[in-house]
Amino acid sequence: MTTHSVSLVIAGSGGAGVVTAGSLLLNAAAKTGWYALMSRSSGPQIRGGEAATMLRFATKPILSHDDSFHLLMAIDWDNINRFSAEIPLTGNSLIVGDPAHGPCPAALLAAQPRQAALALTDIAEKIEGGRPNMVALGAIAAMIGLPPQAMQAVVEQYLRRKGQAAIDASMAAFHAGFAAAADLPAIPKLPAISSETTSRWSITGNEATGLGILRGGVRFVAAYPITPATEVLEWLAPSLAKVGGVLVQAEDELSSINQIIGASYGGVPAMTATSGPGLSLMVEALGLAVAAEVPVVVVDAMRVGPSTGIATKSEQSDLNIAVYGMHGDAPHIVVAANSVADCLFTSQWAVHLAEAMQAPAIVLTDQSMGQSRAILPRPAQFAFSGQRVTALAAAEGERYQRYAVNASGISPMAIPGTPGLAHTADGLEHNQFGIPSSQASDHQAQMDKRSRKLTQFNYGDHWADIVDTDAGPGDIALITWGSSTGPAREALQRFSAAGGKARLISVRLIAPVQPDRMAAALAGVTRALVIEQSHSGQFYRMLRAFYDLPPDTRSLHQAGPLAFGPGRILEQLTSWSV
Amino acid sequence: MKETQTDGIEVQTVPQLLAHALALETEASERYGELADQMEIHRKTAVAAIFRRLEVAEKQHLAGLAALCKDVELPHYAPWDFKWSSNEGPETIDIGRVSYQLSVREAVLLALEHERRATQFYVDVAAAAKAPDVIALARQFADEEREHSGWLQNCLAECGADDSKASEDPDPPLCQE
Amino acid sequence: METVVRNYKAKDYKSEVKPIWCPGCGDYTVLNAVTRALAELALPPHEVAIVSGIGCSSRIPAYTNVYGFHGVHGRALPVATGLKLARPDLTVLVTGGDGDGFSIGGNHFMHACRRNVDLTYIVMDNQVYGMTKGQASPTTAPDWEGSKLTPQGTGINPFQPLVIGLASGANFIARVSSSDPVNMAQIIVQAVRHPGFSLVQVLSPCVTFRPEQSVWRDYVRTAEVDYTDDAARAARRLMTDDGFNVGKVLFKGSRAPYRPEFERSSGSIAELESRFML
Repeated sequence: MTTHSVSLVIAGSGGAGVVTAGSLLLNAAAKTGWYALMSRSSGPQIRGGEAATMLRFATKPILSHDDSFHLLMAIDWDNINRFSAEIPLTGNSLIVGDPAHGPCPAALLAAQPRQAALALTDIAEKIEGGRPNMVALGAIAAMIGLPPQAMQAVVEQYLRRKGQAAIDASMAAFHAGFAAAADLPAIPKLPAISSETTSRWSITGNEATGLGILRGGVRFVAAYPITPATEVLEWLAPSLAKVGGVLVQAEDELSSINQIIGASYGGVPAMTATSGPGLSLMVEALGLAVAAEVPVVVVDAMRVGPSTGIATKSEQSDLNIAVYGMHGDAPHIVVAANSVADCLFTSQWAVHLAEAMQAPAIVLTDQSMGQSRAILPRPAQFAFSGQRVTALAAAEGERYQRYAVNASGISPMAIPGTPGLAHTADGLEHNQFGIPSSQASDHQAQMDKRSRKLTQFNYGDHWADIVDTDAGPGDIALITWGSSTGPAREALQRFSAAGGKARLISVRLIAPVQPDRMAAALAGVTRALVIEQSHSGQFYRMLRAFYDLPPDTRSLHQAGPLAFGPGRILEQLTSWSV
Repeated sequence: MKETQTDGIEVQTVPQLLAHALALETEASERYGELADQMEIHRKTAVAAIFRRLEVAEKQHLAGLAALCKDVELPHYAPWDFKWSSNEGPETIDIGRVSYQLSVREAVLLALEHERRATQFYVDVAAAAKAPDVIALARQFADEEREHSGWLQNCLAECGADDSKASEDPDPPLCQE
Repeated sequence: METVVRNYKAKDYKSEVKPIWCPGCGDYTVLNAVTRALAELALPPHEVAIVSGIGCSSRIPAYTNVYGFHGVHGRALPVATGLKLARPDLTVLVTGGDGDGFSIGGNHFMHACRRNVDLTYIVMDNQVYGMTKGQASPTTAPDWEGSKLTPQGTGINPFQPLVIGLASGANFIARVSSSDPVNMAQIIVQAVRHPGFSLVQVLSPCVTFRPEQSVWRDYVRTAEVDYTDDAARAARRLMTDDGFNVGKVLFKGSRAPYRPEFERSSGSIAELESRFML
């Protein structure tokens, strides 16, 4: 573990307050000037089940979780085996447990980590109102170099409503744990940042998605809850109201997708958010949006599939349905965010693309980005000039052609309420006036138009993030998308630090495909590794279908929910370098 | 649907009569046009021709009526305020009375029935009106309607008895969506 | 003395696209009634929208001069909901058939009644799926043997759509017959004027696949009593009527229409972003 960062897990169950502890620690780290990434895992119970909070802190922006954790702080051992695959440990890792709960389960000891005892329950009992999770936080703070005053400020805010006594009790427990850590083995410490050079945000991927949607101009949202997308909608509900928009709860996803099509037809940019099962239901209406040329944005926060799958875990396996899901040839836009911060940019961009091209845009994010909270550098502002091309007045003596066949394929759209331009938008194939037509020539003309408007659009450099090692690109490439980008980026950084040469291409514009740009990005590349979290290698298959790939192209793919660690990707880069 | 004859009793002034006549003729001409369109789309050209001819006749009648209405302030009636004894105007063929199998003969009979109803309406107005100008105008309108009936009677005479076979279609209905 | 300025006649609301419905189809009368109603309401055509699903009756929007949306099967009500909520200034009508509205669209039908957005829903009920050549619909009698799909009849009791609409919260309920388009126009005017979700069931025979429905014009009779605003009384009446009492409003509720409050920019995006800042 060569980056200056520390990774830890807090685990416990049944009221241990693991989730709260993690949030307090993150907020305290924020005050300390650090960057952070926090994810959670839990059992199926709504309350009281086993939970684990995974945290990584660093003095520079964080790209991904590390290959393993320095510290596992176990408040208790209840069913912690559930997380053993998600908490990779090494011989250098330290497991701290409470002897009152017995020994550490064998499942966690495969890598033979170090172990130590900390009597959390005992220490907490000696303090009036003290809780084991605060004792644990104190110990963690001491071990990673978190100044106690940072936690003081956070606890004061968190317990303000419960009064000074509660604050004092929590801090007393914290300080007791802080002191007790002196007897524990060491783990890497981070320096405190003395002065703030970059302004930072604390935000989750789902919140960032919502913000990007608003920045893009959406003002109507229809919502149906589904894990892990619900928070996007819950963030949007009050936020939309503040900027003059509306969110309506729908009775199902069939309703939400059709409602946003109606709102968009009425001239208001509209979106909804869902996950795989909901996207399956929306596919027919997305085809309608393609045929009737109505812009909408649908965010798919992907979870493990197929079918109900694992709602609370992440996977990158909705690529196929996003790209190929509609019946008929239905060209549309698919974009993918590749980090928590990128959820903001990509959602905003998606609104711009959908509106400019009068087509549906699917935004692929996932549970790991959506429900992780990051402390990251303040995201840049992006100004997109694209807007919906509208028809404002009837041309003298001419009948309005809603679906006029022109060079760009984008025909001005009359907004209801505009005199003289009434027309019927239709899922039936139609002629340029929107009149239903079964003529081959009309179908051909409209198919060409709807395809052309997407392929001829200038997407700029946003189609992919391309990063090279310091020594330049060399002849090796990593091709990836979505949340696999984070570990790939970190692997590239480590490779670069060791003097290696490689290029990372993280594709943001999944559809329409960009063969020319990809060819340019792969110039001189003879070996490529395609990285994705899907059992069947959906992205690899898509690349093979649409792009020319280097002679030695390999696929690194696995099903969710376990993500790739940077080290695994680095292994491949290194083996290619000898 | 009304059981009792209340036609015409409400029409006591020229503007009222003109408003009724205008509505009656407009609706009739539009309906004949609609029926002609329907028959044309379904390639029943002979039947379509009958309705189209009637549409043209009604439109001519309307043009004359419009000239009479120039500079006259007509009262506004919502469609349901007219006291027709039928649901729509007396000259308006109820769409439910036609079908794909309609023969020329049946079309002519249907039109005749409605022209006679229109005539009767004006006759009733003339009978119930008090003002002489209303009576005169109503009688004039009645006479014009009788002209249409005359033409239709001629058509009836020309219709062959084997006309009903022409309205058969061996092909089954198709689905379109 | 009339003070309304009437700039439009009924035919001004019709487009020049000729309908392809079979001659004698009840849908023609609905088109006529709707255009007559719009003329009486004096609504500019560009301020009206008609949303439909799939089926013969769903073809109506193309035959009008108002803004139209021809969506997919069963989903007209959500499209209309989104349109009206985003554009409360428009008058939004929804048209469709019994299959589109009560089978695949059944869930949306219930929730549209419940949500009570200001819409007028006109359902042309011919107790059959006409467009696909004659299958039983949710309002078809269990012993109708005219469908190849259910040659012994469905054996399942039909829906009572008005009862379901009432129970789900529809704010205005009426039943009309396509044999009386003038009355239909009058009811549609009242439906549009009444705030909230207005449901108008049209007994509209299918001349091609249910020719026996030609007797409906003789079965229908004017409803004997005027509307009630008491839902329980309306429920009893609707549950006991034979489905042929037409021509009057059956129920008028007083629920306020659903219209989310647009807080005209009480904040800004910058303010929202400030909450993420450390």
